[in-house]
Amino acid sequence: MSYYFAIIGTQDNPLFEYEFGTSKQGGDGMARFTEQARQLNQFIIHSSLDIVEEVQWTNGQMYLKLVDRFFTSYISCFLTASNIKFLLLHQPPSSSSSSALPHPSSSASSSTPSLVSSSHHPPSSTSVIPSLSTLTGGSNSSTSTLTGGTSRTSTSIAANPTSPQTEEAIRNFFAEVYENYVKAIMSPFYRTNMEIRSPVFRARVAAAGRKYL
Amino acid sequence: MANNDDPPSMEAQTTETSDGGGRGAPKINVAFRATVRRRLISLFLPSFPHTVPSPSIFRRPSQVQPLAAAVTLLTPIPLPRSTPDTRRIPPPLPATTTTNSANNAPPPNDPLASLPMANPTMKPLPSKQRGQPLVLDSRSHSQPEAQPTTPVRERRTNPSAASLFRSTLTPPGSRSGSPAPMGSPARSLTGSVFGSGGFKQSLLDTAAAENPGDPLNLILKSFVPHIAIHDSEDVEHLVKEKGFKGGLFELLRPFGERVQGRVTIRDSNGASRTWDDFSVRFTRFGEAVEDPDTLPDPRSLRGPPPNGQPHYNMPRKKTSLVQQVEQVVEKHLGFAEEASMGAATPTTPTRQGLDTDTTSPYYALYLRRLLSGIPMASHETFSHPVACVIAISSRHPAPIEALRQLYSETTPAEQRIPPWVDGDFLRYYVLVHDEERSDITKSMQLFDQMKRHFGLHCHLLRIRSSQAAETDDDSIPLPRSDWMSASEELADIERSEQLQDSFDDDPHLFNRYIFESDATAIRTFIREMVIQSIIPTMERNVSLWNDQVASRRRGISGRFMSLSKRFTVFGSSSSSSRSSTSSSNNGFETLGYYRPDTPEAIMRRLADFAFTLRDWKLAMSTYDLLRTDFQNDKAWKYHASANEMAALSLLIMPQTMSSKNRVEIINPMVEQALYSYHTRCSSLYGAVRSTLLSLELLRLRGGIGIDESVRWGTRLLEMRLFGPVGDALLRERLAVCYASKRGTGSQLWGSRRRKSAMWSVLAAQAWVSMGKYLQAQRCLADARRMYSLLPSEWGVQGFNGASECLAGLNEAVREGLRVTREYAEALEAEGGHSQGGGNREGEGEEGLGLGLQFDESSNLTIRPKADDQTTAATDHNNNAQTEMDVDVDVEQSGFNGQSSQLPSRPPQIPTPTASSKSPTPETTRGGDEQPEGFEDATPTSGPSSGHSPTRPRKASMAVRTSRVLSAADLEPAAPLPPGRDENKSKDGKDGGFG
Repeated sequence: MSYYFAIIGTQDNPLFEYEFGTSKQGGDGMARFTEQARQLNQFIIHSSLDIVEEVQWTNGQMYLKLVDRFFTSYISCFLTASNIKFLLLHQPPSSSSSSALPHPSSSASSSTPSLVSSSHHPPSSTSVIPSLSTLTGGSNSSTSTLTGGTSRTSTSIAANPTSPQTEEAIRNFFAEVYENYVKAIMSPFYRTNMEIRSPVFRARVAAAGRKYL
Repeated sequence: MANNDDPPSMEAQTTETSDGGGRGAPKINVAFRATVRRRLISLFLPSFPHTVPSPSIFRRPSQVQPLAAAVTLLTPIPLPRSTPDTRRIPPPLPATTTTNSANNAPPPNDPLASLPMANPTMKPLPSKQRGQPLVLDSRSHSQPEAQPTTPVRERRTNPSAASLFRSTLTPPGSRSGSPAPMGSPARSLTGSVFGSGGFKQSLLDTAAAENPGDPLNLILKSFVPHIAIHDSEDVEHLVKEKGFKGGLFELLRPFGERVQGRVTIRDSNGASRTWDDFSVRFTRFGEAVEDPDTLPDPRSLRGPPPNGQPHYNMPRKKTSLVQQVEQVVEKHLGFAEEASMGAATPTTPTRQGLDTDTTSPYYALYLRRLLSGIPMASHETFSHPVACVIAISSRHPAPIEALRQLYSETTPAEQRIPPWVDGDFLRYYVLVHDEERSDITKSMQLFDQMKRHFGLHCHLLRIRSSQAAETDDDSIPLPRSDWMSASEELADIERSEQLQDSFDDDPHLFNRYIFESDATAIRTFIREMVIQSIIPTMERNVSLWNDQVASRRRGISGRFMSLSKRFTVFGSSSSSSRSSTSSSNNGFETLGYYRPDTPEAIMRRLADFAFTLRDWKLAMSTYDLLRTDFQNDKAWKYHASANEMAALSLLIMPQTMSSKNRVEIINPMVEQALYSYHTRCSSLYGAVRSTLLSLELLRLRGGIGIDESVRWGTRLLEMRLFGPVGDALLRERLAVCYASKRGTGSQLWGSRRRKSAMWSVLAAQAWVSMGKYLQAQRCLADARRMYSLLPSEWGVQGFNGASECLAGLNEAVREGLRVTREYAEALEAEGGHSQGGGNREGEGEEGLGLGLQFDESSNLTIRPKADDQTTAATDHNNNAQTEMDVDVDVEQSGFNGQSSQLPSRPPQIPTPTASSKSPTPETTRGGDEQPEGFEDATPTSGPSSGHSPTRPRKASMAVRTSRVLSAADLEPAAPLPPGRDENKSKDGKDGGFG
């Protein structure tokens, strides 16, 4: 399960972006997005604002639950009072994507150089995987069974993006982030639609992600 | 060349790092700067659409024109035709596939003038945008108005090949290229929240029905009565003398596409309605009998095949129908690309699609080819002959005997038609009279005799037997049929390609002429036949079957009968007795199909007749009955087809149901059709057809239907039923679907503009990965326009990754188009020097030099004009200069690196994780515009850092654009590897995407 969390300002501008993976059931908290998926995620989040704009009128709640879906990406939304939206894109590890999973994880752990190489030869990712997975200590097969195992657990949040448990977990996550967000924007120097660059806030979002998702 | 004297690449990099650094630039020629600025503007126009000083752009064309002509004169005039090998385009980018190099269709120049119209613009733009050319290439600015570019170079033009691809080249409205009228007021909106109503109307009352090329019109025109033609040999001789090798079928076919005059049809209630656009389809008798995808498969058609050797020919095709459709569209696309390749002159802005609200002509073609040539299959009777034209000519020595002979050949006993086709169709006897060599009095006598023998269904068709030439006074060109099947069109295209290679050009192969008197005679004949014979027969059959079969089933007793049938099935425990029960009923279990005299088959024919006669209500109710019957019999293909047609007729007919209810009824039907076609029968054609048509009709319903239609579209994409062309076309279509949803209020709540733009981007990605840069360019323009329409003024540019992706796509498209164009020029230059015999490297060198020269000259044309813009350029504050510098550098690197395959290095995008803080050049720039004082504000790695809302948005956007450009463009080649690789790696993530 990989998450992409974004706070969207009133002008569709991202105020805060954060990617993380699940920390439940042995997850390492790393997002498993490929570089293309990362770009695509932003398109998806942006496009689901269309749905949010429609759904927000049907619902009195701030937490709009699951609003949109794009293939295997699910988007949950939380509205704040000032029309700032929290959007969380979550992508359950499907069986088809599990093969592609180790590839981005390696690029996440070792940063830019591997990115370059991986997007140089996207089809040869299979050749990249074994070496990097040996670097991280586990063999390719073991990592894949690990992720596959979590995905098959029916009770896990990761497997069922539409289940009530997931809904509740995301609600808790959003609530905690919202609390921190309110604290962050109480800074006298903060103005509307300004990007949030506080590392404290980032750390707290990360903690909330670890705690609930 | 001032710009070459002063290469600003170094400055570009330095000035880019500081915010106000544009002051370092003034050495650069102001005019050039203006050029560059416009180019940047065009790249990122949606972000600040109001700020562009438009007059300076639009004053341009008049003054540029003479110089542009000079440019065209600069290009060499070479080329006796080179070999097909050298004509191929080298794969311009590492990741592009060589799809368009695979077909060697010679690029004629004459469609150039009409080519841009392949991107039809129908809806007027909002005034603020009108006329601002959303172009990718700076050179296109030197000729912003669409001037008919006279082809200077003498590439071998081939009008016949152009006529082959006419359907995607001609202007909108006339043909399949016409756009969907998405803004038509008839379609009110039903959002889940916003708007209401909308489902009340019949779709036929909307404007879409009249619009050729619109999917609804395509559906109406494709499910029409099929008329088989069975002619004697002497008729074929006669027609061959006229220049039609295919016999009477070929002569009649184009005329069946629109029956002259109005046609009145009575529905089952006796109410009549008049149609202007009724059409019939002619087929050759006993042809196209085929299951489109596979041979009868044991799951769908259980039981042994019919005994005996059937005489009907069943051509075994290597490729399925869907694949053929893909190939045809691919050929058209390749033709468009190659035709544009010849355009050394700057592109005209009409080539840039400015409007999302239009159907791509290629999508229309795709649908049309999918729907044309519906094969004669057992599970649907649309292509079963409603009537059969039996024709002899006046030259025949024993006409009445010949007619009898032909008649007996059409009976089922002869087994020319498969056993599931009802042999009891109308026979229509035609005497073709040769005006030039036969005696009319004798023919009249013979005709009277025919009438006595065969009744009223006779016609005397008087045509001339000599071939009409183009120069004849009364000759008119015979259009090619719009509804030829994919395989036919493929064969035609291949034949024309072969003709190209062998110099054996037969002008009469594709541009044929007939005498006007003949055309009139044929039109009269068809009208008479349709109005007096075919439609009354169909009406009579419909009412007969409706009374005798269907209404019996609809009544209480019928329901009871079907129930009792089911109960006996369930009551009998053993499967053997069960199969015997049902086989005694209709024979499906043993035969694998329904005999034409079984109630199921008759009802199916009744429903299909009602559908073709546009009696949707009757069709719908009958299909609905059949659905359950076929499901009980486990006749899955029948089941799928009945579901499909039930959904379609329910979508077309007017209803008073609320949209939500209706969607809830329709969705299971489409779902069952898709599942039965795809999973149970593995019929790709059926699955694609049913889902695509439902998608289109749902889209026309508007409101909630649009979301549903997109859902079906993504479902299709997920199932990967398409090849690459269909996939890209469908992505484009989904963008159109979303764009056709209108919002309410000033903010247009409930519209789907962002979604639409995203799908456009995805489509552009798909096109780029196929090397179809024209299409990609159009999609990108669509996306940009959609983003610019957003109220937020930011578009998606706020997201750094997304904007980088866009920039990468832009760059890939620009690069692709440039490489293609330069290669074309290189080919010409090469052809001028030698007979196209140079090796690849040599050509590359030539292309480089030539492209450079061309670029300079095009800049020359711009410069004198651009002085007018200095004020506009300079008062735009320093950031404008920053952009210029960056882009000048791009131009330079473009000069050096063009058409050579450089290693593609992706932009180094810092991973936006919390931990990694890689200092990128962008972050250092952010120094003075960071909002000072936000606590702990450190420049994190996200490149989007540092946009203070206090700055004028214009300025910050300029910085942003320059940064994005630098990230994307300073890389020598396309930063985004635009390949299937990308799709492939994405596949894993988002499951079935690509």
